Amino acid sequence: MAQPVPGDLSPVEAQLLRLADDEYVLAERYTEWQIYAPTPEADLALANIAQDEFGHARLWFDLLQDEFGYEEADLLWERDPGNFLHSPLVELETPDGDWADTVVRSYLYDVAERLRLDALADSSFDPLADRVRKVQSEEGYHREHAQSWLDRLTGGGGDAHQRVQSAVDRLFPHALTLFAPTANEDEIVAAGVRTRSLADVRADWLDEVVQYLESLDVVVPDPSAVTRPDEVGRDGSHTGDWAALHEEFTATYRELGFDDPATLRSENA
Amino acid sequence: MSSDACAHTDYEDGEVPEGYPRTGADATGAEADVWEALVEVEDPEMPVSVVDLGLIYDVTVEDGHASVEMTLTYTGCPAKDMLTNDVRCAAMTAAGVEDADVTIQYSPPWSVEMVTERGREQLQEFGLSV
Repeated sequence: MAQPVPGDLSPVEAQLLRLADDEYVLAERYTEWQIYAPTPEADLALANIAQDEFGHARLWFDLLQDEFGYEEADLLWERDPGNFLHSPLVELETPDGDWADTVVRSYLYDVAERLRLDALADSSFDPLADRVRKVQSEEGYHREHAQSWLDRLTGGGGDAHQRVQSAVDRLFPHALTLFAPTANEDEIVAAGVRTRSLADVRADWLDEVVQYLESLDVVVPDPSAVTRPDEVGRDGSHTGDWAALHEEFTATYRELGFDDPATLRSENA
Repeated sequence: MSSDACAHTDYEDGEVPEGYPRTGADATGAEADVWEALVEVEDPEMPVSVVDLGLIYDVTVEDGHASVEMTLTYTGCPAKDMLTNDVRCAAMTAAGVEDADVTIQYSPPWSVEMVTERGREQLQEFGLSV
């Protein structure tokens, strides 16, 4: 089986890949905080959230294997980096030691994640709908985690508040790509794979994040006024940060050298 | 509420769908034997059977082939492959079973409310409050 190619997918495949790739790549970024998070509690919490997201990615990748015949290597280890459909929001490198950046990214993503799952709960594709409730029950903690940190970071003003504002300014344009369509968006909705359009989900997301962030005295850019990044992810276009991350998470697979199996020293001597 | 428990953890999460947990109490013949064999499979982290955790959703045996449907407590469970293999091997030890397969499903979603009474007692003995 060949690897998935963005312009050549069925509506269900496209929807599953959006989900799987977002979760997988975000989890990769979360794991970079291991042993570096600001407190042991924060370290454990983020490790746990990363494990959740890897678990959810596995649910969707499993469905792509079971229902569409892909192999794991097609979906992850051997897939061309230009054939991944995640939003660039989740691939961006974290500015050195900037915990506010991770918290803001998590918040912007997790609100979108909840709205997206709600719109998939009654999917016409039963294997997808059957898995949504379990995922929903695990996602609530992620928003609670992000919001409790945002409350703390903005509560005292000063540098922490400024870092949150900077992260929002930097990440917001990329967060809008969460709602960018894949090539077959119209078919996804027409076939009932997702029961709401991306535009509707985006409107709800915007209402919620603007209201909450403004309550913390954080200014949210006007979506119509921000400069849109050229890379939208959903068509396979990605920022410069993606190539290095892809290289890193596939390194072990390549080093295993499947074409040249390892032999013990005494073998074939 | 006055409790030292972590305020961010909701211990009363979830509801029990009708007919769950399934324990094979009504099963007969080879299917009853498979349920009995599955009681021997314990969660990798706690000394509680996967049956008492409420993880086994269905067992059918046809022409010597057992099919087990089960769930996981958690989608990110790192022991998924190990646990499904343990369940498959246990099912194959039942009399009249020659081959077995295990499928994972997430509907209805598992919650701690689906642990059986016996499972609760064992978890409490182990030191977990459920």
